[in-house]
Amino acid sequence: MPSAVDAVQLRGIGKRFPGVIANHDVDVTIRSGTVHALIGENGAGKSTLMKILYGVQRPDEGTITIEGREVVLKSPTEAIEAGVGMVFQHFMLADNLTVLENMVLGAEKLHGIGDGARAEIRRISDRFGFDLDPDVLVEKLGVAARQRLEIAKVLYRGARIIILDEPTAVLVPQEVDALFANLDELKDAGNSVLFISHKLDEVLAIADDITVMRRGTTVGTADPATATKHELAELMVGSELPSPETEESTVTDTVQLSLADVTLTDEFGRNLLTDLSLTIRRGEVLGIAGVEGNGQSELVETIMGMRIPTAGRIHLGAEDVTNWHTRRLREAGIGYIPEDRHRHGLLLDAPLWENRILGHQTRPPSSKGIWINRRGARQDTARIVEEYDVRAPGIDTPARALSGGNQQKLIVGREMSGDPVLLIASHPTRGVDVGAQAAIWDHIKRARRAGLAVLLISADLDELIGLSDTIQVILRGRFVGTFDPSDVTPQDLGSAMTGGQAA
Amino acid sequence: MTSERLRSIGLSLLAPAIAIVLSILVTTVVIAAVGSSPGDFWSTMFEVPKPRLRVDILNQTAMIYIAAVAAAIGFRMGLFNIGLEGQYTIASFAAASFAGAAYLSGLANVAAAIIVAMAVGALWSGIAGVLKTTRGVSEVISTIMLNSIAITLVGYFLNTRGVKEGNTVHTKNLEAGSTLGGFAPFEDRDGEIWALTIIAVLVGIGFWVLLNHTRFGFDLRASGQSESAALASGINPKRMILISMMLSGAVAGLIWLPALFGGARNYGTSFQAGLGFLGIAVALLGRNRPLGMLFGALLFAFLSVKSNDLTFGTDVSPSIVQITQGVAVLAVVVTYEVVRRWRTRLEQRTVSRELAGANGATS
Repeated sequence: MPSAVDAVQLRGIGKRFPGVIANHDVDVTIRSGTVHALIGENGAGKSTLMKILYGVQRPDEGTITIEGREVVLKSPTEAIEAGVGMVFQHFMLADNLTVLENMVLGAEKLHGIGDGARAEIRRISDRFGFDLDPDVLVEKLGVAARQRLEIAKVLYRGARIIILDEPTAVLVPQEVDALFANLDELKDAGNSVLFISHKLDEVLAIADDITVMRRGTTVGTADPATATKHELAELMVGSELPSPETEESTVTDTVQLSLADVTLTDEFGRNLLTDLSLTIRRGEVLGIAGVEGNGQSELVETIMGMRIPTAGRIHLGAEDVTNWHTRRLREAGIGYIPEDRHRHGLLLDAPLWENRILGHQTRPPSSKGIWINRRGARQDTARIVEEYDVRAPGIDTPARALSGGNQQKLIVGREMSGDPVLLIASHPTRGVDVGAQAAIWDHIKRARRAGLAVLLISADLDELIGLSDTIQVILRGRFVGTFDPSDVTPQDLGSAMTGGQAA
Repeated sequence: MTSERLRSIGLSLLAPAIAIVLSILVTTVVIAAVGSSPGDFWSTMFEVPKPRLRVDILNQTAMIYIAAVAAAIGFRMGLFNIGLEGQYTIASFAAASFAGAAYLSGLANVAAAIIVAMAVGALWSGIAGVLKTTRGVSEVISTIMLNSIAITLVGYFLNTRGVKEGNTVHTKNLEAGSTLGGFAPFEDRDGEIWALTIIAVLVGIGFWVLLNHTRFGFDLRASGQSESAALASGINPKRMILISMMLSGAVAGLIWLPALFGGARNYGTSFQAGLGFLGIAVALLGRNRPLGMLFGALLFAFLSVKSNDLTFGTDVSPSIVQITQGVAVLAVVVTYEVVRRWRTRLEQRTVSRELAGANGATS
């Protein structure tokens, strides 16, 4: 039942990280008993804002008012006590435990761990149509059921305000409809939902209110009854945002990378990649579009030699590199911008110049024979810092102290050095600020003009369309369509990505 | 830059300093609690050691330091080699047997025995390495088990093959040509600093060069800092695990050699057990840094040797210094983490301050 008191009021929220202002002057009002959509591009500050509301991070300024009471949230525990729960994009479930066990884990005091809890789970499941059996092992559940379990976990702990972080990213269209039906039930029971997304169709379909974020702040609100997708997109993108523009084709005839029927099987014999074939020529950018988790990471790891394909051949230039491992491939001239720079791209506690060496241990200027060439590495780091506009006090600064955008610029600079022949760029502008984004796009375009072959994986369809010469769509480990970026719309790609239709 | 340098050195000394103060406090409290006099204890401990003890402290420092470097090689890449104890036991026995058999003579015998010790140590730790890379067995578990196996094996071979002399049994004595003298800094009766303590110096320098100036050292540190980043950079994690495990074992094989060729002359009752565990503690205390471990080894050797004086001067048991050593290690691990977090925050703040002026555009 919508009540007069707003569920959540955020006023003037600000949060600074070193070198970057993640949020400033953020105002959001979530009315009680509604689904409130928070939209914005990657890096617009949505995730920081929800971490603040969920007590993971504390704002530097501003106030949080929940159901009329001003609160200070120091931890997720306090957020849950205040009635705020969050479902992360990556589920936090123990596969080898049952639904019941996952549910009570950490909340044993609420309804015990036995029949009391079982009854409560059944009640929640029936009330909202979650269809959860308390005694089934989580490993038997599909993605949609796991997501319902996560939502139920939050309700079980007494949350009345539920934050959903891009909940539809992992779902197929039918599952999205089912999720929306669940959300309607939640709403009817008086709960409020903060729905974070950048998919405009879905937002217009489910939300009661829409708040748009751009560059760390809220830039406007919209009424889904009257707003159009075009208006929302304009609010999200703004006029200052540079958009990547396709330039004249520089594609040559020389094939730099080719995959022929590459199949990758996991230890249980399931296919992660099935019969993938592709070619990238010098001067060509091949974009891979797909909903995350459809084999993009596995494809990259296979090309980079971190996994060896079960079947099929990979050629780099004329060389058969199918069974080569990472170091040899890197030495052969593959540059790699990893998807997760913290886990795969950097030694966070090491100084910048040591990070310059990472991945280039065996090549000048980082090393001479078996020795590390400190002077060479340091000089070249200074060059990268200068040329790629990495904003850091010096090359002895630890990588951890840099903002995401500057870390990424360092990685791009590093991977572009030593004249690579092929660049694998996995989400190269994810989580970086707008300035760094434009700079990274420029570097990729310049490298393409210079004859580099690029494999670009991105969740940002505009980025893909703007930079690529060809776009392949990947779905459940198979290529399901090839598109020409000059006459494709994000909508076309979107439907191919979800299996709607192949070209 | 200079003031920053100074601050950074000051910060890295902060953790060990706090740890030592804490361990002194805890030791004092424990001694007072059992009704002895802390004053007597500390005045005995801090008395300038007699020349004989000074020689002893240096010899012990050398052996503990080699053990610490062996442990640090594993630690720097995130491997917990608890098996130093077993590795150097079996390596010492092998080297003593080989040298005692006198296949070679003079210095050649010594050199060959050193190689035997390193090879046996590497093979023994290599078992744990192979188990980890092929079967995923945690090296913590396998090396602990290998310790027991090594000690039992050595006991068996000693009993069946060793030379019996009265109630004791030992390997064949080294020939006179294969015992190395040493350097007597004081009078002859105060003993000699063993010739092979030079191994500690070489191992220390070698470790520093390896870590900071070679590709292998970079790979080792990268693997220790982030396994996933190391893999993406082209490091083969299995190969690194096996190599560093064996390297750690090879260095462990050297631990007792200064004593063997200096004074002991055989493997028997003179064998000094426990150096492996001391080495692990010192590596923790010295944060796996070549210089830090040197101070740690000196401190531990000083405490261990000097505690012998307690028997005469006070009613405090010499084992009390083990509490001091233990608390020092525990405290340094905890304080180091606290200081590290504080330092990270400080660095981030410095960076954002320095960039504040130039950084308007990205905010």
